[in-house]
Amino acid sequence: MRKRTLKRSLTGFWWFTLAFLYLPLAVVVLFSFNASNSAATFTGISLRWYGRLMGNEEILSAFANSMILAITSSVIALGIGCLIGYGMYRHRHRKLGWLIVLIYLPIVLPDIVFGISEMAFFVQIHRLTGLLQPGLVTMIIAHVTFQIPFVALIVYSRFVGLDPTLFEAAKDLYATPTKRVVHFMLPTIKPALISAFFLSFTLSVDDFVISFFTAGPESATLPIYIWGAIKKGVSPEINAIATLMIGAVALAAIISLVFSRRRQA
Amino acid sequence: MAYTGVTPSARSRGMVREARHLLATVAPGATWIVIFLVLPSAYLMGVAFMTNGPYGLPEMPLSLESFRRLAGFGFLGWSPGNLYTLLRSLWQTLVSTGLVVIVAYPIAYYISTCRARWRPIMLLLVVVPSWTNQVIRTFGWMNLLAPGTPLSELAEALGLISANMGLYPSNFAVTLGLVYNFLPFMVLPLYAAFEKLDTAQVEAAQDLFASPVRAFWHAVFPQTLPGLLAGIVLVAIPAFGMYVIPELLGGGKGMMLGNLVANQFAGGSNWPLGAAGAILMLIATFIGLFAMRRIGKRLGGGEEVVI
Repeated sequence: MRKRTLKRSLTGFWWFTLAFLYLPLAVVVLFSFNASNSAATFTGISLRWYGRLMGNEEILSAFANSMILAITSSVIALGIGCLIGYGMYRHRHRKLGWLIVLIYLPIVLPDIVFGISEMAFFVQIHRLTGLLQPGLVTMIIAHVTFQIPFVALIVYSRFVGLDPTLFEAAKDLYATPTKRVVHFMLPTIKPALISAFFLSFTLSVDDFVISFFTAGPESATLPIYIWGAIKKGVSPEINAIATLMIGAVALAAIISLVFSRRRQA
Repeated sequence: MAYTGVTPSARSRGMVREARHLLATVAPGATWIVIFLVLPSAYLMGVAFMTNGPYGLPEMPLSLESFRRLAGFGFLGWSPGNLYTLLRSLWQTLVSTGLVVIVAYPIAYYISTCRARWRPIMLLLVVVPSWTNQVIRTFGWMNLLAPGTPLSELAEALGLISANMGLYPSNFAVTLGLVYNFLPFMVLPLYAAFEKLDTAQVEAAQDLFASPVRAFWHAVFPQTLPGLLAGIVLVAIPAFGMYVIPELLGGGKGMMLGNLVANQFAGGSNWPLGAAGAILMLIATFIGLFAMRRIGKRLGGGEEVVI
């Protein structure tokens, strides 16, 4: 009897918490279809804010910047991180404590400290040498820095999960190290590379604080554009662009669910 | 080990090759992180001990002026502004972490009692909102808490806020935003603890006629403690350095340490003061990490916390 009351109140609490989690997102989606530009009252359904998006040069360029930044930084981080991941595996019997500290540093450093360190550093380098003017290049550098650890750890754990005798077999099978890399290593770690790339991409698109502090005037990404629009005074277009971004996340969630189901089956 | 029975020269050649291999694979990434993160943060640490120049840029000579400023001593004598910000950061971190625990604990337990095939979906439902951009989530709360919205009118009708004030900007809105933001970080480690729960201990307690409260306290709670502590570190450290949420939901009176630091590099332009604040944040981070390691060792978990 008592057990059932407990279970029932927990179920109630679960749905309440879900409402709490999704309410802010639902409001953004709802008001993106609002006919009036009021942020408080819903007057009717319209797509005018989406229409406005298409003609907004700033948003289109922010979207392009986000994509260039995410893809370029992920590709660079994939190359560098993959090498470290393999090095960590191959030399796992050595004392590599310093390397572990170095790799965890970008993960544990608070965003804001990370961002302002980079900003202060880039500003001074630019003052002294004229190089590294704040813009897409400095943002790519900063993003690669926080992506490397994730790539390295994913690749490393894939190698650790492999049967060590596979490496011996590959040594016997392929004469040169190059052939071993092309025909054995890369194909075996392909799943890890794919998930590392997508994680890096997501981290980059999702990042606001670090981008904000390393960006230049011309290199605003979508989150930076939205931030600026909110600060200037809310325009209903933000709801529309935010809804599109929420939609992208929902799509990613569904895809990940389907994949995990398939793996289980 | 692999070189037993090989001549010494071949062995040393092998070692040289291994060392070269280590260098070739690890050096690019290690160099990257050293140049683009270790050096910049070392520079930032240094800035904290420099003097603020006329354009907000750091200058020689070295001084502890920025730490005095952080403690409230300025040109016009002592003012409590910065100290209030520090205390508010601590207070917000404490309150929001506490609230997150109160919400996450029953939720994690509930998920672990549901059917196995539903659990991944339920966890996904908890986590997915945190995949959307932090700025957008916070913007959603601005829309919900602004003056004239149903929630604000309700609070007004209940006499919680004065007329036409709205629930945001306020310290309450910041707390709410922090709880919202960090809830998944607590649910995940707690769920992992509940999933491994040894129910034999609970049954033993019940067989010994322990009251439900005592059974919980002696048989369940200690088993979830590692997850709880991991969650607290995962929530409290980033909450202490939070920038976006207080900036959007807090207004001038809701500022936290992250905003104080950021403002010195953007508008306020006092790099040394901002850097001193950053050092404070780093100290908090390392205390948290150290505590987590100690606790992890004591509880014998030995497992890495995976986010």
